[in-house]
Amino acid sequence: MFQNRAESLALTLPAALFAAVVFIVPVLILLSEGLRTGGSWSLAHYASFFSTPLNLTVFIRTLKLGVLVTVAAAVIGYAAALCIVNLSSRNRGRMVGLIVLPLMISPVARTYAWIVILGRTGIVNQALTSVGLTDAPLRILFSETAIFIGLLQLFMPLMIISLVSALENMPRDAISAARVLGANWLQVFWKVILPLTKEGLVIGGTLVFTGSLTAYITPAILGGSKVLMLETLLYQRVTIANDFASASVIAMILIVMSFSANLLLKRLATARAKR
Amino acid sequence: MKKILLASSTALLLVASSAQAQERKLVISVYGFAQDAFKTILYDPFEAKCGCKVVVETGNSVERLAKLEANKENPVIDMAVVATPDALAATRANLIEPIDVSKLSNYEKLYDIAKDPIGGHMSVGYTFYATSIVYRSDKVTINSWNDLFSKELAGHVAFPNVTTNQGPPTLYMIGKAMGKNTPDLKAPIEKVAEHKDDFVTFYVRSSQLTQLMQQEEIWAAPIGRFAWEGFAKMDLPIKWATPKEGQTGGMNVMILVKGAKNKDLAYQFMDFWLSTEIQTKLAERLIDSPANKEVKLPAAVAENLTYGEDLVKSLDLQPAEAILDNRESWLSQWNAKVGQ
Repeated sequence: MFQNRAESLALTLPAALFAAVVFIVPVLILLSEGLRTGGSWSLAHYASFFSTPLNLTVFIRTLKLGVLVTVAAAVIGYAAALCIVNLSSRNRGRMVGLIVLPLMISPVARTYAWIVILGRTGIVNQALTSVGLTDAPLRILFSETAIFIGLLQLFMPLMIISLVSALENMPRDAISAARVLGANWLQVFWKVILPLTKEGLVIGGTLVFTGSLTAYITPAILGGSKVLMLETLLYQRVTIANDFASASVIAMILIVMSFSANLLLKRLATARAKR
Repeated sequence: MKKILLASSTALLLVASSAQAQERKLVISVYGFAQDAFKTILYDPFEAKCGCKVVVETGNSVERLAKLEANKENPVIDMAVVATPDALAATRANLIEPIDVSKLSNYEKLYDIAKDPIGGHMSVGYTFYATSIVYRSDKVTINSWNDLFSKELAGHVAFPNVTTNQGPPTLYMIGKAMGKNTPDLKAPIEKVAEHKDDFVTFYVRSSQLTQLMQQEEIWAAPIGRFAWEGFAKMDLPIKWATPKEGQTGGMNVMILVKGAKNKDLAYQFMDFWLSTEIQTKLAERLIDSPANKEVKLPAAVAENLTYGEDLVKSLDLQPAEAILDNRESWLSQWNAKVGQ
């Protein structure tokens, strides 16, 4: 577009400078706090973080829930996306609209709704006791299960949307061709659909995993201070103990986890293509 | 034409901003609780009286103290209200100065324990609250702090997180009930750790409790009296326990920031807040129990507050030094044993 490469670079300079000063520099300063002990660079904060049992529990729990939510979102997401792409284009628009609708509501409101639904006098417990599956109402709130449900509902629309757009770009006759050649539905999914929609899965998976790792409101409300995740632990370290060093450690861990997840998913996607 | 417009609007802005600068501002740092009511009862009448503007900053105690520390050389805030242990922390950090009580006309009207809670006139108490247990009287009876661990309540009781203002007093009373009342709160924390699966949650905000009680998620929880109004309004049978070991509680105090820019306004404001008229109004709205002993309240209102000389004297308040010196160790013990 621009004749002169130098000209185009110069035009991006203000925005780049702005981003660097307002975003990159403060983040680097924050992360460096975790690497400094009394004026010199060291990994002491990281060592003390990982040697505390509570921190390890929280770290493993966050990772576990992130993976579980991503896998569940992928499974349900594919099922939903496959149904949606087979609808007429008008109905498809309506369904996508319905799925995107919760995204327009604040996550706080959505999470508080779960407190009412999952509570002892909520719909879930009422249904279970009336059918007779349990005698007394179950204690679902303030547990990992409640956080799992909350995070899944929060991030599933993102997965469904990415998969729908990936499936729309897939050549439709590929499925019919595979069926004609004798593949059963499992083979069709594994060998045809999955490789052709891998980009959608990578995007959706990264969004869901990163979102679950860094979610604050849902674990704070549905887990309370009994079931801590990395974000709620970070909040606690900063507001109660004024401990910015461990907050910086947690922030670094979250960044590393998000990047690794993205790289891993991309690697899995390209690996399939080489076969 | 454009130039004239630009010039005149700039001039207008400059005049307007300098006019604003003439009005004096009193900057206060307070709890975020019931700010709408405080505005009508306290801030607006004071602004009318002094012809100044009251600028309100809120947040939790840690944030507000951190701000005072950060602005030590050039204070932004003139006066603040904090919990007693935080006032002691501010004294030790050299952030506040003694209050000249001769400038407070309402000082003699205060209860004795509110007059000089941490010594050296570094603070003046303006409200108390009792801490006890709210419970569903149709499900359970509470006669002792140990009843929080009873079998009937297992799975139906909430406990304050040690990081909240209610946490340490509750642990303190449990230690008293167990007969093992040491400042490091070792025995009560271990007992909570043993029973941690029986607790529905370790709440960090009092407002969470009203919702949990309403949804019948919990049947009992330790809480401060300031939250009673929410429970009294529910149509569930809820009572305030009077355990045999007694009630505990806390006192919130006013502090004067060192080097405050508007000291005279701060004194006027503190005196106004401590006056019988304002303390009565705040009490009638069930916001803060009065520290001014001349406040007279009808029985219906008094029942919902921490009111009356006898009750105030009977509260077993944890000493501020004990809280301040042991906070870190309580937090690490809690994280190690109870935290999950």
